[in-house]
Amino acid sequence: MENSSLPAALEQKELHGIAAAFESPDKLLKAAKAVRKSGFTKVEAYTPFPIHGIDDILGIPHSHLGRIVICCGAIGATAALSLIAWTGSGDPLLLPYWTGLGAYPLVVGGKPLFAFEPSIPITFELTVLLSAFGAVFGMFALNGLPQLYHPIFNFRHANRITDDQFVLVIEKADPKFDATECTRLLQELDPVSVEMVEE
Amino acid sequence: MIEYATLDHSRESWRLDETVWTRVRNVIAFLMLLGWAGCAAGYVQDSDRFFRSYLVGFLDMTLIALGCLFFVMVMYLTGSAWSVTVRRIFETVMVTIPLAAVLVLPVLGGIHNLYEWSHSEHVAHDKILLGKSAWLNPEAFVIRAFVYVLIWSVIAIRIYTNSTAQDKTKSVKHMDSTSTWSAPGLLLVFLSVSTAAFDWIMSLNPHWYSTIFGIYVYAGGGLACIATVTVICLWLRRHGILAQSINLEHYHDLGKWMFALTVFWAYIAFSQYMLIWYANLAEETVFYSKRLVGSWKFVSGLLLFGHFIVPFFFLIQRRVKRNLGALLAAALWILTICYIDLYWLVMPNFDKEGVRLHWLDAVAWLAVASTYAFAFWWQLKKHSLVPEGDARLEQSLAHVNV
Repeated sequence: MENSSLPAALEQKELHGIAAAFESPDKLLKAAKAVRKSGFTKVEAYTPFPIHGIDDILGIPHSHLGRIVICCGAIGATAALSLIAWTGSGDPLLLPYWTGLGAYPLVVGGKPLFAFEPSIPITFELTVLLSAFGAVFGMFALNGLPQLYHPIFNFRHANRITDDQFVLVIEKADPKFDATECTRLLQELDPVSVEMVEE
Repeated sequence: MIEYATLDHSRESWRLDETVWTRVRNVIAFLMLLGWAGCAAGYVQDSDRFFRSYLVGFLDMTLIALGCLFFVMVMYLTGSAWSVTVRRIFETVMVTIPLAAVLVLPVLGGIHNLYEWSHSEHVAHDKILLGKSAWLNPEAFVIRAFVYVLIWSVIAIRIYTNSTAQDKTKSVKHMDSTSTWSAPGLLLVFLSVSTAAFDWIMSLNPHWYSTIFGIYVYAGGGLACIATVTVICLWLRRHGILAQSINLEHYHDLGKWMFALTVFWAYIAFSQYMLIWYANLAEETVFYSKRLVGSWKFVSGLLLFGHFIVPFFFLIQRRVKRNLGALLAAALWILTICYIDLYWLVMPNFDKEGVRLHWLDAVAWLAVASTYAFAFWWQLKKHSLVPEGDARLEQSLAHVNV
């Protein structure tokens, strides 16, 4: 195990937090539980693959992505129906305000100027399209992507996070944060290494 | 291999308790007796009505077993891990399908009461029916019915015996054998269910046709099968059986499937409706015009809201899928609406003025349902409630929805 002490040079730089690397997801889960039990709230885990149960332990709330998606879907459905009603009928069912404002009434196949039946495919497609946009771009936004820099890359073994190491970080933003105290706590949890990570 | 910290290794029993089993068997046997006695009385009183009501009940329950057949094959082909702990329930419902060979007999016996094309003197004066008589004639109809059940039974029994043999041998070769059967099996089952739907339901109105009809019917069957398995699992859970092995995560996934199939059913139903609405040809629109007469139009509206809009907005919510009470309510509602869907497909061909409920509707359904249930319950006791030899069992027990 590599021990870390507080080099004088590091103290000059902003500290991001204390990182500990573990060799298995099991050890990471145990360590995360212990750290949370000690009362830390700003704890982050970096792993090569999703680990079941880590969200609960770290107290990460359920994602709001679903709400973003349903709002986008509803906008898509409304937009499609309004557009069809406006262009098709000239006396739109849904937007009376636009009556006579450059609509294109055109009788096709003897069908009514506006009917729900042929409007559903377009409504469906636009709902799905905007929902998909909401899902992808909403996910980017909630994850803070694109992000070109993250302090965790200052961790010496950062490249192994995408390979075979499981890293837990207690961030400096935590109200209970104390560098020596956190280092000691993490070292007790059977890590491969514990290190200070600068901002 | 990941060690899951959440895995609980204290195992519950995967066998049915003898006293619970006997009590339930007696209840089912009693209902069966009641159902068939009612059917006999109904047949004497009004044979026309008996055959119609029986057809709806027969289709409803047979499609549930066929839905399970479809899902088990899909589970093997996709190698799904989440479903392993519920798979034995699916398999046991699926393997009741040979019973259809017997249960179809009243439909075949009532051919002249149900299908106008079965009267040769009527067909002789009808150019269209004459043209269709190579397919729609009583002999071919009967032969095809048995061929369908034979195809379903061979595949279902093959898969079931593979799965139960694996309980003991724990060998992956059974799994491989099932996967090999499943790919052509899926194709065969889909085609045969589709033509069975043409034979048994679409030909009630022999001038009308729709190529998507088989998928429409099977989509409802698949939905009803997931709802049935959900209800069975929740019932077992209430009696302390499989309460740990089938946990909230598996119910969440069953809920997702109910949601997905609700959407799929609506997609197919709308595809059929929109093309017919757009073309507006008399020989095609007759299907819908019959169902927009009198009180049938309320049933049509009920299907739009009860089979799609309401379950869609209900089941789309994560908290509903993870709330077992709400999930049970959704499953029971879906079973009801799937029955109403089949009723709506069959009955407007006869009750032309509007809905005419009859006590035989309930009794005939009870007879078929209790017979399938009896076979299911009988088979369920013979083997472990969970495919304990499956290589993905541990993974399934530790399954978590992210």
